[in-house]
Amino acid sequence: MNAANSILIRRGILKLVKQPAAPLMGFGMSLFFLLVYNAGIGGVGSMDAFGDGGYISFIFPITIISLAMGSSSGAGQALNADLQSGYFRRLFLSPVPKWVLVVAPMIADTFSSVFFTLVLLIIGAISGVSFQFGLVSVLGILLLSLLWSLTLCGFSAGIMLRTGNYKNAELVTNSIFILLFLSTTFLPRELITSKWLLAVSWGNPVTYILEANRYLLGGTSPAWYLYLALAIFGLTAIISVSYALLSARRTRIR
Amino acid sequence: MSTEISISKLEKKYPDGTHALKGVDLMVGKGQVFALLGPNGAGKSTLVNILINLIGKDSGSYVIGGQDPEKSGRLIQRYIAVASQDNELDPGESALNMLVFQGRLFGLSKNEAKERADELIGLFQLESEMNKKSGDLSGGNKRRLHCALALVHRPKVLFLDEPTVGMDPLARSTFWEVITSMNRKDDVTVFLTTQYLDEADKHALAMALIIDGEIKYAGAVSDFKKMVHPSENCTLEESYLTYVKSLSNTKNNEQL
Repeated sequence: MNAANSILIRRGILKLVKQPAAPLMGFGMSLFFLLVYNAGIGGVGSMDAFGDGGYISFIFPITIISLAMGSSSGAGQALNADLQSGYFRRLFLSPVPKWVLVVAPMIADTFSSVFFTLVLLIIGAISGVSFQFGLVSVLGILLLSLLWSLTLCGFSAGIMLRTGNYKNAELVTNSIFILLFLSTTFLPRELITSKWLLAVSWGNPVTYILEANRYLLGGTSPAWYLYLALAIFGLTAIISVSYALLSARRTRIR
Repeated sequence: MSTEISISKLEKKYPDGTHALKGVDLMVGKGQVFALLGPNGAGKSTLVNILINLIGKDSGSYVIGGQDPEKSGRLIQRYIAVASQDNELDPGESALNMLVFQGRLFGLSKNEAKERADELIGLFQLESEMNKKSGDLSGGNKRRLHCALALVHRPKVLFLDEPTVGMDPLARSTFWEVITSMNRKDDVTVFLTTQYLDEADKHALAMALIIDGEIKYAGAVSDFKKMVHPSENCTLEESYLTYVKSLSNTKNNEQL
């Protein structure tokens, strides 16, 4: 990677450090979910369906997923700020490849998401969350978090570039937010009584990342969820990043 | 004088049907200060945006410094620079940081970028402002910084699209001192579009007049003035107004 590319990526990370509202909001929201759900319905963790890890290990994946949701809008926000100020046009007319202009804030976003996931994992470990495979579980969760974050920020950045409107980019986060509740979010499959929710959860990709994390944490889900989640989110990350890169060519520059 | 910019039969139509450029032919000599004049909406910015590779053309061709900008890609960006109508600044960054960052984007080492930033800060008299965030600068100083950023990589061709809009007289004077000095010392070609015709009159030797996407005149500024007012010693502004009004009257008569 040449110097110009790396300083653009460094700029993206420094922008997040200087203006950490988006990642901190995601982090705060995640901690809030963990505290509230565990305090409110943590008592059900003694049931067999939650395994040895208890309810905190079961609910913990939702905090990781919501973390990326909160912070993944950073790339769209950064691009929006540059487009609004006209600075994006200056960058666009510099001799750096156009794809770097889009990838740099996405890398910064993903870096931030993975960093805060690591912080959450430390907090989780202190709070009693179990890690079935130790360090391998940590690495697996970080990988899933990376793919999930890339998926969200790629679509967010791509929509931002194509429409020139940050509000449209927020649609990604808003639509994913609904998916969070149409899954095995709060209870294991065997304890959900609603047939329609069970049916919808099978078609909801969020289910697979949740259950993959549960396999790595408390071991309450089978291993195939992990393989399927890696395949699904590996593919969505590729599609999302490709979409963002293609959008760089169609950027609306004032 | 060798040719630096050569434009042939350039056409551009926007999706809304606006025919912005109708077969534009132009030649700009190396080291020349060239002014492209015309009323609002005549096609000046469209032409500049095509030349700097920001938007695509429909047909025709153009060459800058012997290169086809559409094929040379990033190489052409090192050869040219643009100071557009709108400020292109990162409001959260200081003037100094932006200048250094711009140098790094164009491949300068850290030390080179810092030296060049210091030089431009001196040239544009931004010493007392260099550590302020660009968003906190006055309108005139934002404009100075915007223009200084365009010069960081020592371009060979400089596109100035209404560059002095919003500058006070002192800032305008300083700006033109820097530009004319670059033009004389480094043989930098300047492609200027402006509504301040006194600036074009003072600094440009060659010009073109574009109206409704068509070049109505291309040649020396002095020849244009003589053509419009053969027996008087008029300013470019007077000649321009006379010429544009006569074209408008002719068009109205034809419609009647």
